Amino acid sequence: MSPVTTDTGERPSELTAILIIAGAIGCGLLAVMLRYRPLIPGVSSAAQLVDQRAGAQDHFLTMATIEQAHCSESFMARLRHETASFGERVELKRDFPYKLKRSAFWSVGFSLLAVILMHVLVSLVEPGVRSLPVHQRLRGLAEQMAQKPGLNRLAQDLKALAAKLEDPKIPREEKQTLAQEMEKKVVEQQKKEEQQENRDLLSEAASTMKGVEQEQSASGQDQQKDQQKGSGGIQSNLPQKGQGDSKQSQGGDGESKSDSSAQPSKDMQKGNSAQGNPKEPGQDKNQQSADAKGNEPDPKQPRNDQSKEKTGKSEGASKEGAGKNQASEEPPQGAPPAERFYKTGEGKEGIRGARYVTVQLPEEVAADAKGESRAAKESKGIRARPQVPVSNAPLPAHVPNAPTEKQQVPIEYRGIIR
Amino acid sequence: MEPEQFQETFQRLETEVQKVIVGHGDLIRKVLIAFFAGGHVLLEGVPGLGKTLLVKSLSHALGMSFKRIQFTPDLMPSDIVGTEVLTENIGRREFQFKKGPIFAHVVLADEINRATPKTQSAVLEAMEERQVTVFGESHILESPFMVLATQNPIELEGTYPLPEAQLDRFFFKLLVTSPTPAELREILKRTTGTESDDATKVLPEDSGKLVNEMNQLLRQVMIAPPIEDYVVRLVHATQNDAQNGGQPNGYVKQYIRFGSSPRGAQSVILGAKGNALIEGRVHVSYTDVEKIIYPALRHRLILNFQAEAENVTADQVIAEVIKQVPKN
Repeated sequence: MSPVTTDTGERPSELTAILIIAGAIGCGLLAVMLRYRPLIPGVSSAAQLVDQRAGAQDHFLTMATIEQAHCSESFMARLRHETASFGERVELKRDFPYKLKRSAFWSVGFSLLAVILMHVLVSLVEPGVRSLPVHQRLRGLAEQMAQKPGLNRLAQDLKALAAKLEDPKIPREEKQTLAQEMEKKVVEQQKKEEQQENRDLLSEAASTMKGVEQEQSASGQDQQKDQQKGSGGIQSNLPQKGQGDSKQSQGGDGESKSDSSAQPSKDMQKGNSAQGNPKEPGQDKNQQSADAKGNEPDPKQPRNDQSKEKTGKSEGASKEGAGKNQASEEPPQGAPPAERFYKTGEGKEGIRGARYVTVQLPEEVAADAKGESRAAKESKGIRARPQVPVSNAPLPAHVPNAPTEKQQVPIEYRGIIR
Repeated sequence: MEPEQFQETFQRLETEVQKVIVGHGDLIRKVLIAFFAGGHVLLEGVPGLGKTLLVKSLSHALGMSFKRIQFTPDLMPSDIVGTEVLTENIGRREFQFKKGPIFAHVVLADEINRATPKTQSAVLEAMEERQVTVFGESHILESPFMVLATQNPIELEGTYPLPEAQLDRFFFKLLVTSPTPAELREILKRTTGTESDDATKVLPEDSGKLVNEMNQLLRQVMIAPPIEDYVVRLVHATQNDAQNGGQPNGYVKQYIRFGSSPRGAQSVILGAKGNALIEGRVHVSYTDVEKIIYPALRHRLILNFQAEAENVTADQVIAEVIKQVPKN
């Protein structure tokens, strides 16, 4: 069961759970009241019952309900006298014996059953509701580790990581990378550790780290899926590093047909890290191929970033190409990035060495190209959009004093102008 | 006056009328209840069942003035309420009001549905206001005043059915049924021999005052609020118009065009009070209501065409309403 969290790590409070339970109990009580309220005897009903038993022709009913101020004295005296004589006919213990109905026992039985069921349900739901946010769990672990002499440094790192995870300004990818690094450290420490107690603590920390990665990747993918739905994409036949098979990415529909891109989703289902798991065979393969191409990894960069950058389209197929990496969508800011940040075949000038580039248009443009009528488009529910091709190809860097692009003279004027 | 006195007087009157009328005990009782409640009664039955005789015997037993008006198509309103005639008094000629037959304690309007609506409406003011207006001058009627009208349900040719407004002014509508074989034997014995019994006068000379006292006593009978509510719910249940607080059920919706008026509820309560007093009680019970509701409401429910086509009577609708309206 995946923990219920929001982007900021908030969880449904206990108050909500209490309110839901209180609401359910309230509704139940209301239903019982509505069901049984008519059965609660009022004064007139009770008087009528006594009248029936005594054969008093509504003497008791009149006596119990009439407003005496509006009645003649003699009539009231007479009614009182008659009612008293009828009263002798009624013996409460004999005529109205107190006994519990069978339905009362059923009611008690069902109530007990309901209470037990509720208790069981609450105990089942409670851990999910009560589980702490990740950063708090990490802090707790860090505090425990701090008490162990050999784990002090790791504890400090954990605390720092918890603080970063809590910070909403830090991008999700960075958090994920940090978590991966920390997991690696923890695993290494676990291997070195001899004490069983410390090992347990470290294994708990490792599993928590895995949880963090999973959360980050899952939320990141969901967000990107929403953003990239229906937008265009780019396909090319560029040679792709770190990829043995021919792989195409289709950012437009947010799905990848390649095997490597399908793998992370399977892993995610299994609860493993989708992107930064160092044990993933595909990623290892990518890294190996990147090394083989001679691109030296930057030791200062996190390992996952390295693999991402170097594998180029291979990674794009599984991450960016799958439309699930938000960072790739961000517009370039500040100075143009270093050359090593460009994907294979791309440079400062744009895409180099591409034999062809396929620009995937939004649905409407594609429909126009196919020659579909407006009615057919409307029937499909396609909204009118500006007919501008959309691509996620990186734009050339803006140079302030660069000469503006020359517009070509239309063909029909060329002769005249010449 | 005490309830016992009321009961005794009532029983004596019943006995006296029953000396002449064989059977119809319930009918006589309800006529007397209506009389002491200050209402008018519409008697419906085929000819020859003793309707006129019943009224005559009753007036005789009460010792009050009695007039009979035979309603015919050419009867004029002035024939009922009276008119001003030119008289000569000590050499002077002047108009003098000549009272019509309506000026009596008990008036028998025989075959009331044979007169034209114009003539029928002449009785309207008399029944409700207990006064008549002739040439702009109002004349107060005798007190107590009771109209006992009869109508024949089978001879409808040349008749003018009573308008709803006039029907509503009758306290009860009583159905005169054919006598049982035993009753018929008794009728034959009494009427075909030499001996004949007449009702003797029960009430004293100043019977008007006594009747008024009995009327006041009847109104003092207590009714519990839940029973009053029950009457209200019954009357509302006959109304097809939910906007006015009516709660029509399927049966009512199917057969009733118009439900009972508030006068219907008044009749039920007053009739139930009278019934309670006769039975020796000073309070109304549910059984009193159920006994009285039929004569009090049957002429106030206007049934639709479907009811007529399916021979559904007002009594059947009332029975269904009683079945469906809970007592609590």
